[in-house]
Amino acid sequence: MTIDATLPGAMPRPARRARPARWEAGIGHGLMILTALICVFPIYWMIVTSLRPENAIFSTRLWPDTASLENYAYALRAVPIRQMLVNTFIVSFTVTVIQLVTGILAGYAFARWRFRGSALFFGAIALTWLVPLQVVMIPNYLLVSRLGMIDTLGALILPHVASAFAIMLLAQSMRSFPSEVIEAARMDGASHAHILWQVIVPNLRGTLASLAILIFISTWNEYFWPLLLSRTPENSVVQIGLQMFITSEGTQWGPLMAASTMASLPILLIYLVLQRQVIASFMKSGLR
Amino acid sequence: MKTTILTGLALALGATAGHAQTIPAEVTEPVTITFYNYNLSSAGNGAEATKKMIAEFEASHPNIKVEGIPVSPQNFVTRVQADIVAGQPVDLTQMGFNALDFASKNLGAVALEDIIPQAEIDAHLEGMVPNGLELGRLDGKTYGLAYTFSTPILFYNADIFREAGLDPDAPPQTWEEVKAAGLNVKEATDALPLATGIYGPSAMDWLMQGVVRSNGGAVINEDRTQMTFAEPESVEAVEMLRELAKLGITKNLDITSQMEGMAAGNTAMYLQTSAIQGFLVDGAEGNFDLRATTMPRFGDKPVRPNNSGSALVIHASEPLKQRAAWELMKYLTSKRGYTIITSEIGYLPLRPEIVEDPEYLGEWVKDHPLLQPNLDQLSVLEPWVPMPGPNYLQIATSMMDAMEQATFGDNDDVKGILEAAQTQAQNLLP
Repeated sequence: MTIDATLPGAMPRPARRARPARWEAGIGHGLMILTALICVFPIYWMIVTSLRPENAIFSTRLWPDTASLENYAYALRAVPIRQMLVNTFIVSFTVTVIQLVTGILAGYAFARWRFRGSALFFGAIALTWLVPLQVVMIPNYLLVSRLGMIDTLGALILPHVASAFAIMLLAQSMRSFPSEVIEAARMDGASHAHILWQVIVPNLRGTLASLAILIFISTWNEYFWPLLLSRTPENSVVQIGLQMFITSEGTQWGPLMAASTMASLPILLIYLVLQRQVIASFMKSGLR
Repeated sequence: MKTTILTGLALALGATAGHAQTIPAEVTEPVTITFYNYNLSSAGNGAEATKKMIAEFEASHPNIKVEGIPVSPQNFVTRVQADIVAGQPVDLTQMGFNALDFASKNLGAVALEDIIPQAEIDAHLEGMVPNGLELGRLDGKTYGLAYTFSTPILFYNADIFREAGLDPDAPPQTWEEVKAAGLNVKEATDALPLATGIYGPSAMDWLMQGVVRSNGGAVINEDRTQMTFAEPESVEAVEMLRELAKLGITKNLDITSQMEGMAAGNTAMYLQTSAIQGFLVDGAEGNFDLRATTMPRFGDKPVRPNNSGSALVIHASEPLKQRAAWELMKYLTSKRGYTIITSEIGYLPLRPEIVEDPEYLGEWVKDHPLLQPNLDQLSVLEPWVPMPGPNYLQIATSMMDAMEQATFGDNDDVKGILEAAQTQAQNLLP
């Protein structure tokens, strides 16, 4: 890496080169601003729609004539959104932690140990990734029903305690971990547990952070399994709450957008907190 | 998977069939029943009204506790199936009419005549519209009582009518008049002349059945053994729709877009269930003059609207629970029940006498004129015929896909398209 220590103005560039550079920069910035606006506009529209009264919901004006928080109040009254957000957070957080732990343990086993049938087991795990959730939903439902877990948060978590994607990703990351470092630790008498938790895991923070975010978001957005499982809104998750505003007799766009705004805030906050870690992990992966 | 589930269902239901007993005359001990309800799965009027009815019922029947189970309409049958196999109690359901046959053969739906004394049934059904009672009858038995149901009506935007030089006080009554009005609207305005709820993944076949029947046809024969949607009357009905599409009067838009186009004031006419009236009224308020008239007929032929919506179906196998479910069913289809269903959810009352009665809907109807076309159609209501057998959804889907292709596709051979699809659908019949 080099650092440009030249002071501005100390060595002026030829005018012929400066102008195209500014043009290029201008076009680049213009494209980036346009892209950013395109990305942000749906979120802006969601918030604006959440502030509109019912008879102005289809208005195309960029700002509502009469903004009000009535849709938020209605959404909170009609659906237990707060409880659903808490439930969704508990389920997403628990699934993320459990999948990371099972992924780390299984990934280490596949990456560091040679045992009979390891390729077969790894292949079998990879194959489960190809089976859509809908295929196993009914057998899973019967299982949690027999366990007496219908309408509980535990049943939302149970089918997600291990993830093929997490295992494969972490196994791959651990395989590319420098073997010299592991050998050095072993020569110092370190156990497998010590090597895993004290040597490898701290060095995979970037990968684990981005994997955690992926797991958290996909669990947060889970819809079909909670739809089949939940019997009361109080024990359900926010995606089911959002769906409650969409009916065959018409969609309640104002309250739906209000609830969607509330539902997206926690994810946005988590991303903001972990943003540096995520970007660092992506850059690291790119450089590698 | 399907075979396994059906086998499980058969075993689960068979285990209880041998214990059929006489239903008790009343509920004298505490009992809890489940009520699988799709209105509870949404936010708003439907859920609030349902909770209110359950609360009123529990207050007047202290021994009966009702556990309302919210189930979305999209996975209603799957959920009931799964719960029966899982051993969860399923006592009373709000079943879509299209799944009634499947429920009677695979989901343990009980015919009222098999468990309730006939005199008691007759006493409760007195005062109900005879056509409405037919909606829940299959093979001569009553498996369901119409609960939340409605008919198709033609909503129209009176402001667009005026802009197009049409008289909003004389809305179209026939498909020819719809075509003429549509051409005027197309010529004079930017509005979409006609939207319908006929096609689309969530439309199912209920509205199309009414269109075909209004032309003297039927999509399936009376004993539900032969598909008939390629018969001349049906072909003619689809050709009429094709002509409207080719003239640019109607377009193959997403069903939700069509509904929202009407609510936003961008559509002149909209043929759809009266159940969406509340949604359209909210959009129209302060923006445009929303009105409604009866479903269009074919020339001099009588209009034959059929119902959308749901019936109450008993699945309970224990006599005490059957009695409790029947008591709840009676309450929900009583004068009081239909008053709440009509005034707070927006569906039709199966008891026309309450419409004039100031104790029930008398005052409310005066303030809600959009209900009138719906009430006018009650006397000519026809059942939404469920397709038979376990492939009932595939049969309806293949029929509707062909009709959509025949209406909006490039191929002018409507008869050929429908005949090919009819052969395919016929093979799916049991």
